[in-house]
Amino acid sequence: MTEESTRPAWSQQFAADALREILATGPIAGLAPEWAWEGSTGKGVRVAVVDSGVEHDHPALGDSVCGGVAIEFDERCENYVRIEPEDHPCDLSGHGTACAGIIHAIAPDAAIYSVRVLGRDMSGRAIQLAAGIDWAVENGMHVVNLSLSTSRQEYYALFHELTDNAYFHHMVLVSAVNNIPVPSYPSLYSSVISVAAHEGHDPLTFYYNPNPPVEFGAPGIDVRVAWNEKQYTTCTGNSFAAPHIAGIVALIRAKHPELTPFHIKTILWACAANTRRE
Amino acid sequence: MEMSPEELAREERLVCQLRRLLQAIEAGGRVLLPHTDEALLQSIVEAAARIFGAAAASIALVNETTHSLEFRVAYGAGQDQIMGTSIPLDKGIIGYVAMSGQPIAVSNVQQDVRFSRDFAQSTGYVPRSILAMPLLSGERVIGVMEVLDKIAAPSFGLQDMELLGLFARQAALAIAQAQLMDHVGEAFVLGLQRLAMANDSADLGDALGAFQHLGSESEQSRDLLALADLLNEIGALGDAERRACVRVLEALAECGRSRSRLGLV
Repeated sequence: MTEESTRPAWSQQFAADALREILATGPIAGLAPEWAWEGSTGKGVRVAVVDSGVEHDHPALGDSVCGGVAIEFDERCENYVRIEPEDHPCDLSGHGTACAGIIHAIAPDAAIYSVRVLGRDMSGRAIQLAAGIDWAVENGMHVVNLSLSTSRQEYYALFHELTDNAYFHHMVLVSAVNNIPVPSYPSLYSSVISVAAHEGHDPLTFYYNPNPPVEFGAPGIDVRVAWNEKQYTTCTGNSFAAPHIAGIVALIRAKHPELTPFHIKTILWACAANTRRE
Repeated sequence: MEMSPEELAREERLVCQLRRLLQAIEAGGRVLLPHTDEALLQSIVEAAARIFGAAAASIALVNETTHSLEFRVAYGAGQDQIMGTSIPLDKGIIGYVAMSGQPIAVSNVQQDVRFSRDFAQSTGYVPRSILAMPLLSGERVIGVMEVLDKIAAPSFGLQDMELLGLFARQAALAIAQAQLMDHVGEAFVLGLQRLAMANDSADLGDALGAFQHLGSESEQSRDLLALADLLNEIGALGDAERRACVRVLEALAECGRSRSRLGLV
């Protein structure tokens, strides 16, 4: 427990007075947004939103939602999960639609897939989340937005294995850290792109934190988002920061399909608003 | 299998012993431990409201039977009206926090589709901004703490969320401790039962099962617990008052002893 209480809080390192300048030198300093994603719309990239579902016909999503699955806990099934395809996904709360809406706004031509692992009460089992990540790898997703996590210690190893597997399959996992300072898996692993909220509003402005485990900060305060039943609302939380990064990653992957997760993380580092390139 | 008279008598003696032991534990706890129900929670919401410079703060606890959140303590605007009210777990921002286990900061409730205007109006106070934090016992959400309308600023910021988290943790500890004390008897019996079953001691297991079904406390044990509560209050008094109470109790006890010695009714 001592470790948890001394870990830096999730937001403070991205506060305006706490941000530190990062210096990029040499060839890496040549990586800039113009090269990385300018002109890209995310075309050809598949993005999975692992969440409460995505409302496929929400006006904020256009035609971007191409299908998905619902993953339920079922003791009778293999691995205790039942996976059912959803050609026209729905959202049981609004959270998933909010995330998808942010991604669509940044990468309007990216194909979005809904992987529902949360129930109407906004909860789900860690095993459903694990199955969601697994499904994304098996079905050729390029980017996964994970605005949820588990703090169950007993799943540490399983999620480590899953995220490593995703990494080696060149799938970029963008994971929001928990809003409460508790263990947050898989958000805190090095193989994912971990994101917390900062107070800005420009969707393409993000920051790098030189003191991980939370590596990037993106807009997550008072963000105007889509919500279920074709509504809109204003939300605050790390959940809404992750999709900003997921959207940018989709833009990068569309423009440079050959890149791996480690290339992309380097590009994000070099293009962060607090990185000075020399 | 039918029990012999000897076995029945043994079981009854065991049950009596258990009951006395549990009374002792419960009474001891109530004398020695501070009461963690409303008083401490009230002080936590007041501290939170003042430190945030907020118009109001409150704590609602989850009632799993009715699937609702019941407001237990409140401070500031609307505090009297909100006390004792409840809201279904799937309604409002507070319900969303309880279900998702995640905190929420809303700058303008008019723009949040989750906000339950009806409920707010029924309490006589409709806030503009809300900061709500789940109260966690392990992974279980046992309640929600809310702070409303920061007076000197248009909304709550990230640092406010972290600060509220500290208060919420205090409140959750206080509530968990109170719940534990309420159920210490049950917890003790359940623990022993499991131990008995694990060790294949069917007799002890049966006795414990019988104990649990024996129904609520007797008048004597209720009086004992009431006495324990009073002792707790006396313990919090100043030195002179406490000594005076002890002298009064000693005199009463001596009176009881002398009456029994002389056989007076």
